[in-house]
Amino acid sequence: MILRPVQMTDLPALLELVQRAGPGFTTLPANEERLTHRVRWAQRTFAGQVERADADYLFVLEDDDQQVVGVSALVGAVGLREPWYNYRVGLTVSSSPDLGIQRQIPTLFLNNEMTGQSEICSLFLRHDQRYGSNGRLLSLGRLLFVAEFPQLFGDKLIAELRGSADEHGCSPFWDSLGRHFFKMDFSHADHLSGLGSKAFIAELMPRQPLYTCLLTEQAQAVIGKPHPNTEPALKILTAEGFAHKGYIDIFDAGPVIEAPVSRIRAVRDSQSLMLAIGTPDDQAPVWLIHNRRLESCRITTARARLVGNSLVVDRLTAKRLQLQPGSSIRAVPLRNQQQQAVAA
Amino acid sequence: MLVLRPVELTDLPQLQQLARDSLVGVTSLPDDTERLREKILDSCASFEKDVQGQGPENYFFVLENLTTRRLVGCSEVLATAGFGEPFYSLRNRHFTSASRELNIEHGVPALSLCQDLSGHSLLRGFHIDSALERTPFSELLSRARLLFIAAHPERFAEAVITEIVGYSDEQGQSPFWDALGKHFFDLPYVEAERLCGLQSRTFLAELMPQYPIYVPMLSQAAQDCIGRIHPDGQEAFDILEREGFETNSYIDLFDGGPTLYARTSSIRSIAQSQAGTVQTGSPIDARGSYLVSNDSLKGYRAIVAELDYSARQPIALSAEMCAALNVTDASAIRLIAL
Repeated sequence: MILRPVQMTDLPALLELVQRAGPGFTTLPANEERLTHRVRWAQRTFAGQVERADADYLFVLEDDDQQVVGVSALVGAVGLREPWYNYRVGLTVSSSPDLGIQRQIPTLFLNNEMTGQSEICSLFLRHDQRYGSNGRLLSLGRLLFVAEFPQLFGDKLIAELRGSADEHGCSPFWDSLGRHFFKMDFSHADHLSGLGSKAFIAELMPRQPLYTCLLTEQAQAVIGKPHPNTEPALKILTAEGFAHKGYIDIFDAGPVIEAPVSRIRAVRDSQSLMLAIGTPDDQAPVWLIHNRRLESCRITTARARLVGNSLVVDRLTAKRLQLQPGSSIRAVPLRNQQQQAVAA
Repeated sequence: MLVLRPVELTDLPQLQQLARDSLVGVTSLPDDTERLREKILDSCASFEKDVQGQGPENYFFVLENLTTRRLVGCSEVLATAGFGEPFYSLRNRHFTSASRELNIEHGVPALSLCQDLSGHSLLRGFHIDSALERTPFSELLSRARLLFIAAHPERFAEAVITEIVGYSDEQGQSPFWDALGKHFFDLPYVEAERLCGLQSRTFLAELMPQYPIYVPMLSQAAQDCIGRIHPDGQEAFDILEREGFETNSYIDLFDGGPTLYARTSSIRSIAQSQAGTVQTGSPIDARGSYLVSNDSLKGYRAIVAELDYSARQPIALSAEMCAALNVTDASAIRLIAL
């Protein structure tokens, strides 16, 4: 498996992939025209032709038979072209010591605080490929890419995780809040949002802080709670240093998780090494390896042995990376070794 | 005969009984001896005070049965709502948002805590014995305050407001309170209203939400209470509505009851009341019912009387009426048809 920039020739495969993902996958709608536009834009991004404000790094996961089985993206900056909104879950205290009253009321504050930060998004892996290191390669490969090109990104990476919704796509948070301001159901709003109208929709949202005690109990219960389907993604990113700092999506209240780039494990622990070809033993740890290129970026995972300043991998891995022995690479153990040690 | 007059300290025991019977939302009538004593003393001082303009004065009236010496009602007018401290209400208005791209535009009503009504004069504390509801005497109890304002306009503001008690059920549950105030106080409605009577209302208001409350987020039962009148508050509302008071976008913080507003000079009992002089000793060929008041300050009196009134003619009063009003021949009086 390799993670590489999307190409125009991937379009049919990509379209099939997002159709499999279903309507919940709003940031990558199964619309040929929009998808074509996005792929073209991604190519220009990897070619260094667009500003950070417009940068959209769209990656595909490809197996050794050149089959596209997954997709993920990295956005240069949110909110620099149109406003980017979140709610911050803050607190209002209603207090009167004389009357013995002390009420703590979580309160939602609309804000644009994530403006200029980079976002990881649009991740989907085909169900039959969800094994081994595939999910991690698809997700963490982006972090290693950021480690190599930090100047292309913001100080923080963020990820908006999908919030709770029932099997029909109804969000209790939306039903208790957004619905009153739009008179449309969540899936329709979410669809518009995926079509790039999120800022327009946000213009209709209430500007004033909102006392959560006025939401339904069901809505209060899902604030900052990820959709069960996103739990694996959350787990992987949490291990990398991402944390929920109280920001949520304005539509479904899903958590926005964030991490300063310099503190992300895959960034901080990555090193520039020299590629060597040999025989890593079967017990060698799995590494995430990047060929350090932008437009012809290749990222893969492989068992590897660290010898001095060299990372010894097998011949196939070098081939996947399109590199010769002696080439410079950026690599990081796929899993946090300290955690592994604890687990062992 | 029933007469309306300023409260006196000796009224305290009877007043407390009235307070006990009064509607929960009438917070200016706390069932608390000390608070009532303070209110009486405060009112006595207000009537005594030589004032040039409106201040913190509160004029507290009682309705007394002169035969039995029983008090059967009370009412107040506060010269300045929120004197020296803000007077809070909730303002109900639309926030409009629009998205040109999506071609969507709509308004969402929201309730915002405001002090807009500070500075107006406030009618409050209206309570009448249930046997006298919807009689000329409830008109007297309410409107004699307006005749008092007419006699002493320098003591009052250019607009007069009143808060009508909002809806609560027989168990004392207010759906509006349960949906809003309760979250911020964690107290039952009845207890909150009781505290309002004892503590400064401003003090409590300041615990209320400072950010607007979007109406659609409230329960339907609470939304239905916005501007809804408690059944027992209907008469107070009706009397003042006939006086030219109007509802507007302001409601009570706690129970969502409506606020009535009128410009002082256009209130019917003020604009249309007639000044005249007393004539004693003439027979009265009664042709209509009137509210009659003397124009005194601390000796203020008002009654309901059947009179034969002609404009610009002396007004014939019976000896009993004169005694009740504490007037004699040629005294100045004021009257308005019931």
